[in-house]
Amino acid sequence: MDLNYTPEDVAFRKQVRTWLEQHMPRHEVKTLEERKVWHRKLYEAGYLGMRWPREYGGYGARPMEEAIVADELARAKAPAPTNGLGLGIVGPTIIVHGTPAQKARYLPKILTAEEMWCQLYSEPNAGSDLAALRTSAEDRGDHFVVNGQKIWTSGGKVADWGLLLARTDPKVAKHKGITCFLMRMRQPGVDVRPLKQITGSAEFCEVFMTGARVEKADQVGGLGEGWAIAQTTLGYERGGRALARITSYASQFGRLVEAARQLTRHGRPLLDSPVVRQKLGRIWAELEVERYQALRTLTLLERGEHPGAGGSLTKLSYSEFEKRYMELVQEILGPYGQLTQGAPRELHLEVDTAVGEQGTWAYAFLWSRAGTIYAGSSEIQKNVIGERILGLPKEVRADRTGVAR
Amino acid sequence: MNFAFTDDQVLLRNSARSVLDEQVKPAHVRAMMDDAAGYDDAFWQEMAKLGWLGLPFPEEQGGAGLGLVELAILLEELGRAAYPGPYVATVVLGGLGLSLAGSAAQKEKWLSAVAAGRARLSAALLDQHLDWDPAATTTTASRTAAGFALTGAKRFVPWAHVADAVLVPARAPEGLTLFLVDPRAAGVTLAPMVGIDLASRWSEMRLAEAAVGPDAVVGPVGGAGPALEALLRRAAVAASAEMLGAARRCLDMSVEYAKVREQFGQPIGSFQAIRHRCAEMLMEAENAHAAVYYAAWALEAGAEDASVAASVCKSYVSEAARKVCGDAIQNHGGIGFTWEYDLHLYVKRAKALEPMFGDAEHHRELIARHVAAA
Repeated sequence: MDLNYTPEDVAFRKQVRTWLEQHMPRHEVKTLEERKVWHRKLYEAGYLGMRWPREYGGYGARPMEEAIVADELARAKAPAPTNGLGLGIVGPTIIVHGTPAQKARYLPKILTAEEMWCQLYSEPNAGSDLAALRTSAEDRGDHFVVNGQKIWTSGGKVADWGLLLARTDPKVAKHKGITCFLMRMRQPGVDVRPLKQITGSAEFCEVFMTGARVEKADQVGGLGEGWAIAQTTLGYERGGRALARITSYASQFGRLVEAARQLTRHGRPLLDSPVVRQKLGRIWAELEVERYQALRTLTLLERGEHPGAGGSLTKLSYSEFEKRYMELVQEILGPYGQLTQGAPRELHLEVDTAVGEQGTWAYAFLWSRAGTIYAGSSEIQKNVIGERILGLPKEVRADRTGVAR
Repeated sequence: MNFAFTDDQVLLRNSARSVLDEQVKPAHVRAMMDDAAGYDDAFWQEMAKLGWLGLPFPEEQGGAGLGLVELAILLEELGRAAYPGPYVATVVLGGLGLSLAGSAAQKEKWLSAVAAGRARLSAALLDQHLDWDPAATTTTASRTAAGFALTGAKRFVPWAHVADAVLVPARAPEGLTLFLVDPRAAGVTLAPMVGIDLASRWSEMRLAEAAVGPDAVVGPVGGAGPALEALLRRAAVAASAEMLGAARRCLDMSVEYAKVREQFGQPIGSFQAIRHRCAEMLMEAENAHAAVYYAAWALEAGAEDASVAASVCKSYVSEAARKVCGDAIQNHGGIGFTWEYDLHLYVKRAKALEPMFGDAEHHRELIARHVAAA
């Protein structure tokens, strides 16, 4: 056990920091085009697609190097790169399960963000029970025809392509009749509608597919292998965000302490109140524990081990922490925590809401409700932990046998 | 960066667990609850032979020369067994206290005796108040012709009734000073304080002009503050390691029970109400593990954030252990509420340590000082 960074990692961090000082965009990066330019700059510097194999345009870097880059980007409040799902989910899926032709066709353009990707998994009636999905893909000889509806599609508005799970065989058990496809989003059969969330913005979309076309060559893996493929990519440990997430929380926390210094009650700064100090102490302790856990995850990844179901512990822990954190922030800041406009300048209430995104505490608070739902709700994570780590018996379920519909 | 145990550390954990599984079974813990001394000297000598009593001391003092991470590993296992005996009092409070502040002669005399199983120690860190800040010490040390006379009352002094010497902070004319006091000396009286964990022993220690010589002073006269703060941080992390072990035992017992106990024709672990609670308990235990070993490493390495890491550790683990142990009783239902079932041995060990060396609230205030100053 040695929790010091190695001299190589310290030197690498310095190199990234220096690069960022020289190349940080001078102007606010707002439009998708500006963001893609920044993305390409990061890629060309070797700071994106870092852990992808070199033969597919990646840099074959270590998990720690990737984590350091993400951490430095968060520290510098640099604009986030784009095409996160392409880099994090779609690319790795194609690398593992794709044909040589698919690899050659799609991977380079994912890395450069020339083509943007989304993930077409969840449906209105297939959330936690993803395998209940009903979107169908019908074999028409040289292509498939897709009909159905997807929901919670992040980046659907800007995506050129989607990684699709669709049912190709309704006559077998529900986990067995699903196939994975790469689908062109910009075609007449695909209708993308933004989905306004409780934050007031629309990071997610609904996607309606009516006779949409998917080429035979764009099927990933075998027919009926979609569920197994989705399992490997859902469990694909990105780890690279492990430290950056904590750095964002810590940067928010710094702002919170400053606000508690400025705001007064009974003529004294909130920061002097024992009650407020208890809350700040609690947040900081939990935040630090999340940081220690990130270092544990990185240790595993560095050793070439896969956290497996342990990833469920990580996700459960940080997403539940984020909710408690934001509730405590609201308690401390009172109505100031809810402001979306008109915040007094001297309070510096704008914070990191995600890496590279400045926003309000109100937005960060509302967004904290997403983490315990997306990518497997807390309840699903607890099932995974209970069954796969603790070896507790599975519950009796009605859907393990019988056909999909 | 490597947040994983070395092969040697894994070996230490495994061998400690197998020794304790064999020799500190629940029946042993129960037997010691009724024993006058409260611990078994034969096993104490066994611990000396295993090198556990000198684990963190230098080799020239008969120790194993290991660090706080190794000490935390052993303490976690001792907590897992609800070990009844003055290990923490002797090795952590007395031993590390002398390591931090003692003279070469004092270390030579006491640490080698501790390592060999010949001496037991303790420290009296709480006066009649409930304030873990050493600066709040009210016990006084007045100058006499022969040295000092100590007057005051210390409470919750662990295992003082079997200690050969107790580290006692007292306020001398020059300021806060640390003394090594023989609890059997004239002017010192002990009275047992019995808590819910009958396998942990405390005493109230009254000092009525208890005379000590100049050689009883540990560290600089009037300058004991920094060493006491350093000792409290180590004690807080040590207690956390023990709580973590007790919590792990409660989790393991819960999971095993949930697999075999049937209600409504199914093992109760198949119900989400139980399974989800067990998952939360594991998450808390894993987070507590990270907090304990990060802090142990940071203190050993003298890391920049070592002080605040100790407070993060104690505040987090105190509450995590409370949740895990409490949930374990709930998972077991009625049987978890019986004296006969062993669960309460571990629940009570964790509970006994929760307020010691600063509770969660105390350490959150220390964290707040750290972040407000940053």
